[in-house]
Amino acid sequence: MTYVQKRSLSGLLFLAPYALAFAAFVLAPIAVALVLAFMQFDLTSRSTIHFVGAKNFSDAVKDDYFRQAFVVTLRYVVLMVPGLIVASLGMAMGMNAMTRGRNTVRALLFLPGMFNVAVTAILWMWFYDGQFGLFNYLLKGMGVGPAPWLSDKSWAMGSIVLMSLWWACGGTAIILLAALQQIPKQIFEAAAIDGAGPAPLFSKITLPQLKPVLLFVVVTNTIAAFQVFGQPYLLTRGGPELSTRGLVQYIYETAFNNYRLGYGAAMSWLLFLVVAAFALAQYRFLRRGSV
Amino acid sequence: MWLLALLFLTPAVLMILTAFKPEAEVLNPASAIPKHWTLENFAYVLGWAEEAPFTRWLLNSLFISTSVTLLVAVFSSMAAFAITRLKAPGGGLFLGIVVASMMIPGQLFLVPLYLMLSRLHWLDTPAALIVPATAGGFGVFMLSAFMRSIPGAVEEAALIDGCSPLGLYLNVSLPLCAPAVATLAIFTFIGSWNDFMGPLVFMDSVRNYTLPVGIALYQSSYYAEYGKTLATSALATAPLIIVFLAFQRQIVDSMASTGLKE
Repeated sequence: MTYVQKRSLSGLLFLAPYALAFAAFVLAPIAVALVLAFMQFDLTSRSTIHFVGAKNFSDAVKDDYFRQAFVVTLRYVVLMVPGLIVASLGMAMGMNAMTRGRNTVRALLFLPGMFNVAVTAILWMWFYDGQFGLFNYLLKGMGVGPAPWLSDKSWAMGSIVLMSLWWACGGTAIILLAALQQIPKQIFEAAAIDGAGPAPLFSKITLPQLKPVLLFVVVTNTIAAFQVFGQPYLLTRGGPELSTRGLVQYIYETAFNNYRLGYGAAMSWLLFLVVAAFALAQYRFLRRGSV
Repeated sequence: MWLLALLFLTPAVLMILTAFKPEAEVLNPASAIPKHWTLENFAYVLGWAEEAPFTRWLLNSLFISTSVTLLVAVFSSMAAFAITRLKAPGGGLFLGIVVASMMIPGQLFLVPLYLMLSRLHWLDTPAALIVPATAGGFGVFMLSAFMRSIPGAVEEAALIDGCSPLGLYLNVSLPLCAPAVATLAIFTFIGSWNDFMGPLVFMDSVRNYTLPVGIALYQSSYYAEYGKTLATSALATAPLIIVFLAFQRQIVDSMASTGLKE
């Protein structure tokens, strides 16, 4: 065997463990999900697996619960992503202006991101509790009546977003801070000498310089927000009156509480298509647009 | 900024302080600091019986997260070594497919994985949470990028001189990549420790739950006993806070660079 042949052979051997895992637990599930989406497969009555064509997809589009869950998910995305970007950018600029203790502040802001979703939800359920909650206790101290943080349809989503911001802002702020620190100081100095105020500095220098990283955090956070599950599931179980039940929770309940696996798989693909379309649109728009 | 940082920290501090309060004080939080420090919440949590075996969940989580972390570190570094140093045939194409697969949201895998795991009779066993997790693409992607950024001429020469690939991997490439592998290990551990959906879907019996699902279940059955649920949360978070304090610089720095790699 020649040297190159030997090297190739050992290369394949070293690649094998991961490649096998990848084939079995990434590629195969994708194939299974694709097949399932065109099947009626209900685990309650074992015998009923059969091909139904695109029926699952057309059912989903007509399904009122699916539409409602889609609107709920969109509401979360629309509130969460801009809120997250603005808050993290503010935090990143604040940290960038610090002369001392920046690393400590950075770590403290990131700390909530280390909590798992169950701990985060338990903590905030205590804050939001109508009777015994900390927030309503503080409100009472200020002479304001109790707020229906999680029990009112028009409040619940906002409360979920607020908690999610606390949880996720630090991570994004760290990424944006790193990008801010990469902008050459001379650009700001030159502009300041030319008499540019803080507003033009921000819109003409900071934002354009940050554009690639902003694009990255907008797209990744949008993808993540479309898949929101744990926060509403734990805080409100999707209520009140399904007003916070998003798509992933509906898919989860369809597949694992009602055992309609084919329908669940089809809805997963629809969600994937929506996410992909949004990510692509943002990518196109933000790359060309004059942010 | 300090004020904001302290504000962000407040919920965590309140969680720990409140866990030390007797229940009567929890419901009437006149002061953030407990008037009567008590360990009864912790004692209660750790002394649980069958319906909510906290210690068991902790051991499950430790075992699963440690196994996932070790396997991911070994598999990913071997694959990255094969692709970048041994030039495994088709390696570049394979890496491309792996990276493309990373764009697919995790929720798509739930239903098919559930079916596959039930066929394998792995549901409700730790294998359901360990083995599929080794297939994640992030490690291979990150380590391949890292290995490409450092010159491989020495390794190439060693191979030509007849050094065995295994020896090269163990004695040269792996030590060179140690910082990147450590970062991967930390992130993998945190991700596995905090995974909520996997154990929720794949685990059935209460004693096989991991911490996040276990404490979520506990919370919903002991509604509004906040002293006890917060003690559970504090205990469940403690290991991660230790990891965070120990590797704070590394975690935050690698988080910071994720946006810059693009």
